[in-house]
Amino acid sequence: MDFFSFLVIQSLNALSQASILFFIASGLTLIFGIMRIVNFAHGALYMLGAYIGYTVAIYTGSFFLALIIAPILVACFGIVFEKLLLSPLYKRQDGGAYLMVTFGLAVILAEAIKLTWGADPKGVQIPEMLRGIVIVFDFPFPKYRVFLIIIGVLMALSVWLFLEKTRIGLLVRAVSQNPQMVNALGTNVVFIRNLVFAIGCGLAGMGGVLAAPMVTAFLGMGSSVIIDAFVIVIIGGMGSFLGSIIGSLLVAFVLVFGAYYVPDLALAIIYLLMLIILIVRPGGLLGKEE
Amino acid sequence: MRFWLLLGTAILFSICIPFMVPYYAMTIVIAALIWGLFAMSLDLLVGYTRLYSFGHVASYGLGAYSSALLILHFDIPVPITIFLATGIATLIAVPITWICTRTHGVSFAMLTLAFAQLGYAMLFRFKEFTGGSNGLPGITRPAGPFGLDFFQSKIGYYYMVLAFLIASFLICRNIVNSPFGKVLSGIRENEMKTQALGYNVRNYKWFVAIMSYMFGSLSGALFTPYAGFASPELFFWLISGTVLIMVIVGGSGTLIGPIIGGIFFILLEHELSEITQLWPLAFGTVFIMFVLFFPQGIWGIFTTISKKSKSNPSESGHAHS
Amino acid sequence: MNFDLSNKKGLTRRKVLVGGAATMSVLAAPAYLRKATAATPIKIGIPTVITGGYAVLGSHVMRTAKLVEKMRNASGGVLGRPIEFIYKDTKGEPADCVRKCQELVERDDCRIFTGVVVSSEARAIMPKLEEWDAFFISHGNGDGRLTAEFYVDNFFRANTSAPMGARALALYLKDAEQKNFYAIGSDYAWGHSSVESFEAQITKVGKNISGTVFAPVGNKDYSTYITKILQSGAEGCYVALQGDEGRAFYSQAQQYGLSDRVQMVTEIVSQANIRALGNDSVGLVGGSRYPFTYENEANKNFLSAFQAEYDGEIPDWTDGEMYQALDILFKAMENADSDETKKIVAAMEGLEVDSVKGKTLMRECDHQGENQGFVVRVSDMGGSEPVPEILKIYPREMITPDCRSTSYSS
Repeated sequence: MDFFSFLVIQSLNALSQASILFFIASGLTLIFGIMRIVNFAHGALYMLGAYIGYTVAIYTGSFFLALIIAPILVACFGIVFEKLLLSPLYKRQDGGAYLMVTFGLAVILAEAIKLTWGADPKGVQIPEMLRGIVIVFDFPFPKYRVFLIIIGVLMALSVWLFLEKTRIGLLVRAVSQNPQMVNALGTNVVFIRNLVFAIGCGLAGMGGVLAAPMVTAFLGMGSSVIIDAFVIVIIGGMGSFLGSIIGSLLVAFVLVFGAYYVPDLALAIIYLLMLIILIVRPGGLLGKEE
Repeated sequence: MRFWLLLGTAILFSICIPFMVPYYAMTIVIAALIWGLFAMSLDLLVGYTRLYSFGHVASYGLGAYSSALLILHFDIPVPITIFLATGIATLIAVPITWICTRTHGVSFAMLTLAFAQLGYAMLFRFKEFTGGSNGLPGITRPAGPFGLDFFQSKIGYYYMVLAFLIASFLICRNIVNSPFGKVLSGIRENEMKTQALGYNVRNYKWFVAIMSYMFGSLSGALFTPYAGFASPELFFWLISGTVLIMVIVGGSGTLIGPIIGGIFFILLEHELSEITQLWPLAFGTVFIMFVLFFPQGIWGIFTTISKKSKSNPSESGHAHS
Repeated sequence: MNFDLSNKKGLTRRKVLVGGAATMSVLAAPAYLRKATAATPIKIGIPTVITGGYAVLGSHVMRTAKLVEKMRNASGGVLGRPIEFIYKDTKGEPADCVRKCQELVERDDCRIFTGVVVSSEARAIMPKLEEWDAFFISHGNGDGRLTAEFYVDNFFRANTSAPMGARALALYLKDAEQKNFYAIGSDYAWGHSSVESFEAQITKVGKNISGTVFAPVGNKDYSTYITKILQSGAEGCYVALQGDEGRAFYSQAQQYGLSDRVQMVTEIVSQANIRALGNDSVGLVGGSRYPFTYENEANKNFLSAFQAEYDGEIPDWTDGEMYQALDILFKAMENADSDETKKIVAAMEGLEVDSVKGKTLMRECDHQGENQGFVVRVSDMGGSEPVPEILKIYPREMITPDCRSTSYSS
């Protein structure tokens, strides 16, 4: 194929990859932005979403139902966890405590998932209407990936609009800047925190359901994804939602084109990129340095 | 002084351990000491300067692979290898820490992570040199110098690791109690004020980072002759998180706390996995319990108890979270 | 918590002594208790992956071991003694594996190991076997070099290795209509070894390789690689990706319709992956280390015992290979009338066993088991999940490489 069509195809590949990365990274960055928590358990939540999605899909026969129910359940789980184990720690202003608790959760959750669903991997089928390919410049491209791109864009847009154009979104942004002030002005900061944490978990869970038909639900999917998520958030800037979008796109494009031209260097390139960006802009591309 | 009495007791106790504990258990005890040393090295950054590093595994991995390569290619006696490997790894750490300490807070953490990940990727890239995913098996413990070979036995190696641990602890203690250390506390409490007072904060951070990497790579260098091989797992990012947890569980900012934290973590994981296949559940729960109920860490518990039972405040250790 | 080591300082002498004694008694307890049993059991250590990425394989190792323990002990054990498996969790980490094996030797007086999942774990303990006077038989480690340049006396490999799997496949593909193949592998030891073996073998039978690519371990999105394969115009594609990566690749390849344009072949076909992939896996051709569909007396018996014990579950390749390895181990022990390492080694050299995979011979010169080679196609035979349909079986002499080597001179 000629160079132009090659570019288009690879870009589509990259966009579909960026979509899944976005779901995980955006949740992580939102949670950090609002609570200054580095959520070690974020990968495990993503994995939980995949497994719950599997079960819902099996019982209801519908992938789309799984796509709606699983993130909600993961968000609920997140809220429970936040209320029980994270909120007692707020007054301590202690980064180390959050680290330990989310680490403990990640370990427990991974084991609990293994106990509940077993060690064998679980397949999730793509719904009928999303099967098959579309032809782009004589090249096959899966309909499912088109779906991924669309839903990624929709979700990114929705969250962005929520943050920028709604009153609650404004409060969220305010709380991430200066919680005491917002509290003094009468807003229920606790509610805002819960909301953002739930959204973050829900995004991760949804990412898991979306990824399941591509990689199957399996143990270890959490730990393999968490480091990618961190890299993206670091590149994009911790706490910046827009940064997580840019970071996902950047990483996906580098991975796709890097893997094509220099496959054995693909991984190293990402880390090198992360290093360069951090040296030039220590807060990440859009982060605010503390 | 009370400190020396406590230290003396601890040393005596440690010397007696090989006689109190079955031979096979010494394997895990040595591992516990190495991790204790590794955790203490991180405490210099985390506890005393409040610089959270997410990439401390880099120091460990560098030390471990350096000693592996030195023994494999040059058959250098173990004690010399340990010093050389630590030196090499520390040299490599100098530019790395210089770059990282340009920032602070989250950016610092992320930069350290970036370097650690780069190191991990490099292991696979230069597989002819590093053995790639196979690692470097078959590392022996060459004897010398002057016919020294006590460390070739397991008990002997234990004593060598213990000696390094005690020496490192005393050196670090000297550092943090010295004027240099006081400046570090100043940086920890209020960086801007310290800078305003005329101290070149950047250089202090850089130096303490080098120290931290040095002791970290020492623990890595001690690992390889003990285990007999080096493999990429020694550079895995999860270790950075684990050692951070050890520091916090032990009680950061106390030096002795993280040593205890490291030992506790290793022994707990080992014993739990022997007892039940569900050990991760218990393990994760233990940590959550610690956060909720013992935020000062293990050492913090001890100092609180001893404070309550004595009229004089304890002089060593000021528990920081 | 068992240990009192957490309060190193500030203890009274009494506390130190009590703590020390408590520590010692807890650690020594198992040994003390064991002296009380009547017939000393034969202890076999299984340092496997119970938690971690390869937990699936570890769970298969354990379920077959448990079945064998039950069956053997019900019929008098081995050498008139009951067998006892000691399971340890290595998390797939070589350092942990070495440590657990060392403890098995020193604490439990257990010197026979099997069930190690990851090749790098095997690689780490092999140099120590002589020092421990321990015996290790591989049930599933594929790295060809373990019986070649890394050979040690006390190590035997019962299973089909990576070069052997690639060899069987290449022989089969000799008559296939596809002329050029692309190869994609995982960027680590097994992946490289597998692709190299395939490349060497396939060119020998007159086909060619249009390109190779290695994806980083843990890579989950294969869109670029699939694009590369489609672009290359190759008619076949050799896939040296296992477990999680394998499933991700096949799912995504299916979505691109790759299998409509390219015949995919692989070195290991695993039932766990087939079940997870469902129809996405139908049509895949590959080597199988143990296809449960193989029909012989031994396998029939194994199958019925396995399915009775595990609710009709289909045994995967690890189950069959583990069963064979234990079969071979116990036969050697019976022939040697001993459980001492050196005697087992001597008895196992040249031993031939009628196993669930056919007649397998443990070769003396490099301790590699000469196994028949199976080539299968994943087919929908009407059951609840697709199954490996055997296409061809190759005699073991054709499949096993030259002595202490990973290549074939014929």
